[in-house]
Amino acid sequence: MFKSIIQWHRDWETEILAVLADPSLIDTLPKGYRRTTAKHLMQLSAIERQQLREFALTYRGWKGYIALGKLLFLLNVVAVAVHLVFPAKFSLFEALAVTNALGLCSVGGFVGMWFNYRRMPAANLKSFLKVVVLATLGALVGASLSAFLDGRSVAEMMEKIGRTLLIAGLGVGSFYSIIYGAVSTWRNREYEMLTAKLQMQAEQERLDRQLSETRLRLLQAQIEPHFLFNTLGAVQQLAQTESPRAAELTANLITFLRASLGDMRTEQVTLQSELALIEAYLKVMKTRLANRLQFSLCLPPALADVRIPGMLVLTLVENAIKHGIEPALRGGTIDVVVTEQGTHCQIDVRDTGAGESLPTTLGVGLSNLKERVQLAYGTAGSFTLQTLEPSGMLATLRLPLASTHSVTP
Amino acid sequence: MTTTVRTTVLIAEDEPLMRERLEGLLQSCWPDADVVAVAENGNDAWDSFLEHTPQVVFLDIRMPGMTGLEVAQRIGNRAHVVFVTAYDQYAVHAFEAGAVDYLLKPLEQSRLELTVERLCQKLSAPPAALDAILKSLQAALPTPPREKLTWLKATVGKQIKLIDVNEVLFFQSDTKYTRVVLADYEALIRTPIKDLLSGLDEKQFWQIHRNAVVNVKAIAGAHRIDPERLQVTIKGSPESLVVSRAFTHLFRD
Repeated sequence: MFKSIIQWHRDWETEILAVLADPSLIDTLPKGYRRTTAKHLMQLSAIERQQLREFALTYRGWKGYIALGKLLFLLNVVAVAVHLVFPAKFSLFEALAVTNALGLCSVGGFVGMWFNYRRMPAANLKSFLKVVVLATLGALVGASLSAFLDGRSVAEMMEKIGRTLLIAGLGVGSFYSIIYGAVSTWRNREYEMLTAKLQMQAEQERLDRQLSETRLRLLQAQIEPHFLFNTLGAVQQLAQTESPRAAELTANLITFLRASLGDMRTEQVTLQSELALIEAYLKVMKTRLANRLQFSLCLPPALADVRIPGMLVLTLVENAIKHGIEPALRGGTIDVVVTEQGTHCQIDVRDTGAGESLPTTLGVGLSNLKERVQLAYGTAGSFTLQTLEPSGMLATLRLPLASTHSVTP
Repeated sequence: MTTTVRTTVLIAEDEPLMRERLEGLLQSCWPDADVVAVAENGNDAWDSFLEHTPQVVFLDIRMPGMTGLEVAQRIGNRAHVVFVTAYDQYAVHAFEAGAVDYLLKPLEQSRLELTVERLCQKLSAPPAALDAILKSLQAALPTPPREKLTWLKATVGKQIKLIDVNEVLFFQSDTKYTRVVLADYEALIRTPIKDLLSGLDEKQFWQIHRNAVVNVKAIAGAHRIDPERLQVTIKGSPESLVVSRAFTHLFRD
């Protein structure tokens, strides 16, 4: 008998723990009191559920019984003490009954409140009234009961202590409400702090994830096969004709590839090395496109050592080639100009190519770039694109000179 | 003495070094080929095709102006087409399924030799129709929709006029300029006809000659002037225009 009760309790406990961990399991429970109880538990918020689960885990099995045993022992010691101090007012039986009933009710109520504090403030007045009414009623029933046991008339008893009873009820109600109110308010504040902390953690995780995704995308496939194969074709032709330009073209291609394949994509680089890379790239394109491409680069010496995320400006230049110069029948000019503008440095990439209207959606390269600027500088950095007359595009990067972020997307 | 059959070839490729390479390789592995024209963009390629009507056309797919695919569409089955591309994963699948040959850049002599061999076998037969392969290629390599011309800016005397394209009766090449003829006046623009084509609605404006594009609504009638050519008369204009052989199919029932 005892064993089967223990077993039953264990099963139920396991079941409740499972449901607390994963609310979707509720539908697998058999219909009946277990399911109803579980459904009540589901009215808790996720955090409350988590806290209740931790508590239930701590007091699982024998631990729970021992804790309960300790509580009962304490209550009974108090009862005996009460009987010894007020032997005239409480018989031993009365003292035991009153302390146990009061103690278990308070502890039960308190545990309930402790784990279901979210609903407390909303139901504050209601629960206050409930406690008052119940406490008064309880006192009435108790008084009637003792009158009955002592063989006195209930009416007479009421007359004698009615007012005292009402005061006692109200007093006890207020007492409980104040304590419970205070504790639940405190628990709620804790809850809100916890929620805020969790939200902050989630936001941080989201940012970290975004950062690593961006890095990964940058490391993957950035060198266009078209660029590589066409350039190799040009190298082949120059080598065949034994032109000295073959060596020059190869040198520029190597400079470009070394930077593109390495970690430079994700590291901070100086404007000077970024522009050196761009020069190598544009020289390769110039060899291939001949008189269809003119270009110039301008970097004031004072800004040469400013550090920016690698490949940022190159992306803009690649874009100008791809959408500006290559599709243009007569080619065009690309100018890269860096200027200092107060607290910012401004990088303009201007082409006189085929572009006549702004793209409706940014391509992978530019949306990636926008994301990197945002991750590295927040709102302090910006990227804009505008059309030029009669045709062509101007891409502008504005980056703060004193970088506030240390991350390098 | 044996007379060898010469084959006329057009090369369209936008990068000069790649052009040189293709031309050089062709000379060494196909001595019987005459490269009659070399174009550096799609518009020139189409214009050169009309001028020289070569038997074989090598078309780079990515070119300024009309793409290789658009040029091939205009050529139709009037020449044997070989596409050239650096890297188009999806296009290669389409090629392998179709009857059209293709070359990958950087070009390899042995691969080109194979292409030449195939071409020599095919030359005796009429060129294959390209419709099916072009359709699948266009699906694999979508060209962004081109903006159509709605207005033309032209100088008439000292005035700059804005001309509604729909009011144009016809365009005609005039040495350095293009004549834009309307019902009540005419103007000159600098843009050559070959560069106007892709901006015009093909259904409304028919190219009828390398040097002329006519608004279909302005055509009064057409009559034959010799076995190969037609002549169209224009509503509201005393002029008449010649339809060259490449375009007489437009007037067939």
